[in-house]
Amino acid sequence: MKTAAPLDPISFIISFVTEYYPFIIEGFLTTVEMTFLGLAGGFVLGILSALGDVYGTRLMKVIIAGYVEFFRGSPLIVQLLFFYFSIPALTGLNWDAFTAGAVTLMLNSGAYQKGYFKGAIEAVFKDQLMAAKSLGMTFRQTLRHVVLPQALRIVIPPWTNEYISLGLSTSALIVLGIRELTNISKSIAAQTFRPLEVYLFASAIYFIWITVSMRIFDWIYEKVKIPGLEVSM
Amino acid sequence: MGEVVLACEGLKKRYGDLWVLKGIDFEIERGQTKVIIGPSGSGKSTFLRLMGLLEPPTEGKIYFEGKDVYNSGLDLNMLRAKIGFVFQEPSLFRHLTALGNVKLGPKVVLKMKDDEAERKAMEALKTVKLEEWAHHYPAQLSGGQQQRVGIARALAMDPDIILFDEPTASLDIELTWEVIDVMKDLARRGVTMLVVTHELGFAKEVADEILFMDDGRIIESGPPEELLKNPKTPRAREFLRRLIGGV
Repeated sequence: MKTAAPLDPISFIISFVTEYYPFIIEGFLTTVEMTFLGLAGGFVLGILSALGDVYGTRLMKVIIAGYVEFFRGSPLIVQLLFFYFSIPALTGLNWDAFTAGAVTLMLNSGAYQKGYFKGAIEAVFKDQLMAAKSLGMTFRQTLRHVVLPQALRIVIPPWTNEYISLGLSTSALIVLGIRELTNISKSIAAQTFRPLEVYLFASAIYFIWITVSMRIFDWIYEKVKIPGLEVSM
Repeated sequence: MGEVVLACEGLKKRYGDLWVLKGIDFEIERGQTKVIIGPSGSGKSTFLRLMGLLEPPTEGKIYFEGKDVYNSGLDLNMLRAKIGFVFQEPSLFRHLTALGNVKLGPKVVLKMKDDEAERKAMEALKTVKLEEWAHHYPAQLSGGQQQRVGIARALAMDPDIILFDEPTASLDIELTWEVIDVMKDLARRGVTMLVVTHELGFAKEVADEILFMDDGRIIESGPPEELLKNPKTPRAREFLRRLIGGV
């Protein structure tokens, strides 16, 4: 890259990719890893808080509302900085940027997923719960055999949106210095003085990744779809 | 006299300030079919939900096979499993086929093995003449078919009694007949049934007794020919005149 003659954009992209590809792959994998950690943790938190909000006590509902409001009502970057710097200050517990980032994404995604799961759980009409009760099913059996099999199907389309949203939001992890795709791209752009091509290339990676993922989720949705259960939320 | 399956004493129910049931005494013996009629808002559905143990009474006692349901430490879910319930809306589980709907109770509640539960469910579907529709989802069935799946779902539990809450109220007239036919068939087979309905033909043909409810009480009861032809209370007389005249 130290040559005097400027390369055309295509040749430049080819040359920087051949030079930096291990870093680009590392960055992309970190992005994907963080997304999946956030989604998985958020999935558990989201279902539990949705169940708590629909079926729980008043105290549980208040706590859940506070949690959701906090994470939906402040910027992700602020949340990342807050958790990374304040947890060690408050507890004396030292944690690295990666853990702090993953935990914050889980909490953030859980707050959004709670809304989707709540809608899906409430879309399973009360008459079915009454029918389950009349058969002698316990609350647990009703959840497992009646509510969740329907809610988890209904939730796929909105959940796909959360996947996209969180996947793209992982670029905020740059503020913690985590070496995800955006951060790596920034370093390469700084070293090569070619921000246009580098960021264009990074955007293309995000785009392809998200598009392929969406196709996969659409395919899963079609696969598990049941006639008459296409509830729009 | 047969064994009393389900009974209640001084049954009352209040929602907020409103007393919906104001003291009901009732019993039904094994093999009997009893029909409840009465104007809307008279408490018929509430009465049925209480007898199905889907809601607790505010006052009074409910007895299942002689045992005081709410005062003898019985497992309510095990009792509910023995009391079938067919709702006004079919209330089928929408993610399951007809077979899946009927099979779920035997499998999950009665802990039957899968093939055993399936045999049980197919048998129940045959009784309601829906065996060819076993693999269809609720959304692929007509309202009458859905309601018959609901009946099969209750039957497959081998209940001691089945309660029907206006099972044909939301159906078109032709679909009503197919459901009523199945219910008549069950009554003739000796299934114990407590039915809220305004299908007087059904009541006339198979009911051992008709109960007329008004304002939270059973104000008149008797065999169909007697109550339908010669109602004693003015309220029942007026209700029947309107019901028959209005059709």
